[in-house]
Amino acid sequence: MSELELRLADLRAEIDFPPAPQLADAVERTISSAPRRRRSLRPLAVALAVVLVATLGVLALSPGARSAFLELFRLRGASVARVERLPQVEPIERIELLGVRVPLATARKQAGFELVDLGEPDQVYLRGDGLVTLVYGSIERPRLLLSQVPGAVWDGFVKKVGGLGSSIEEIDVDGERGLYVSGERHFVMYLDGAGRIADDRAYLAGTTLLWNRGELLLRLEADVELAEALELARAVR
Amino acid sequence: MSRPPREDELVERARRGDGAAFGALVRDQEEIAFRTAYLITRNAADAEDAAQTALVKAFYALPRFRRSAPLRPWLLAIVANEARNRLRAGGRREALALRAGHELPSARGGVPGSELPSGGAAPSPEGRVLAAEARAELLAALESLGEEDRLVLSCRYLLDLTEAETAETLSLRRGTVKSRTSRALERLRAELGER
Repeated sequence: MSELELRLADLRAEIDFPPAPQLADAVERTISSAPRRRRSLRPLAVALAVVLVATLGVLALSPGARSAFLELFRLRGASVARVERLPQVEPIERIELLGVRVPLATARKQAGFELVDLGEPDQVYLRGDGLVTLVYGSIERPRLLLSQVPGAVWDGFVKKVGGLGSSIEEIDVDGERGLYVSGERHFVMYLDGAGRIADDRAYLAGTTLLWNRGELLLRLEADVELAEALELARAVR
Repeated sequence: MSRPPREDELVERARRGDGAAFGALVRDQEEIAFRTAYLITRNAADAEDAAQTALVKAFYALPRFRRSAPLRPWLLAIVANEARNRLRAGGRREALALRAGHELPSARGGVPGSELPSGGAAPSPEGRVLAAEARAELLAALESLGEEDRLVLSCRYLLDLTEAETAETLSLRRGTVKSRTSRALERLRAELGER
């Protein structure tokens, strides 16, 4: 440890942090006061009990609201994005190339990494190389694809797709590197989990956002502008 | 006398819906969870709200927690995400401050800014003043850094997280934490005029 690091470590005991509240008690109270049905709704990944209680009421009153809620992305501050509002996007590749359709639970079990999502997907595809793709909308009329695989954005990506009529922009998603690709049909090239250069293709005739999240490479395909793509990317959990 | 349950046993019970078991797990982590949220939101009320919400979310997300993984960084990552959400929502931000009438820091002989000179002799009144000034200067320099730099240094040194824990908490790759820490330290040195 350098001298500066030692001084920072010494500073630790000197910071006047506000006293930590008794979170454990509050959390226990919240958990115990939530309705028992909550556990069956885990796949929705909507965990905040207060929100859940309110939502169950809505669903009970209005069955039609259920699908709308299932497609509700997470609350991010004041903004709420809904996948159902996204336009349908024309598939440009055979969807079989995404692998085989499996239940979400199977994908979670077999992926070998913790899946992230934008709410419960309508369909899930698992491919032999470990790629998991969550489909929002239907496979015939997709609105958004969220693919994930251990890997990283590849430095050579920009150079490789240049000249194919695509516009590529380097972006930052929560401090992690990413690329926003729009325009004509393009390939997606990335470093796979073993550090080898792999390639895949875009499946939808929209735009593609590629970004790193820890050890994962995430790929979002939809017909959205950069700002909306970034908002969606940040809502992925 | 029965031994206290191990973390993995509590996790298993919590996964089956045992709120008390999860409470026991959280009790060990509540201070660092709150501090993590506070370092991001810089607002005690927001930090409490974020940490509490995140921990409730973590309870429901336990089926997705890898059994072999350490719990703390997984919890902190959820807390940090929730805190970032609050940060974007806006609100008043507080600056970090030093304790008034603080205790002596741990002895690290001869380290500038420490109150104990090598040899362990009691510091003179002048030495105390100089040490306090050095700490204040260091904190001000840390506070002046960009958010990315400040957060990675805060996790590593103010929360005492390992590189791996910092990576998981901030949803970064470990290599990114290493390089970002190195760059942040360089910027901090520059802020302190120590280049």
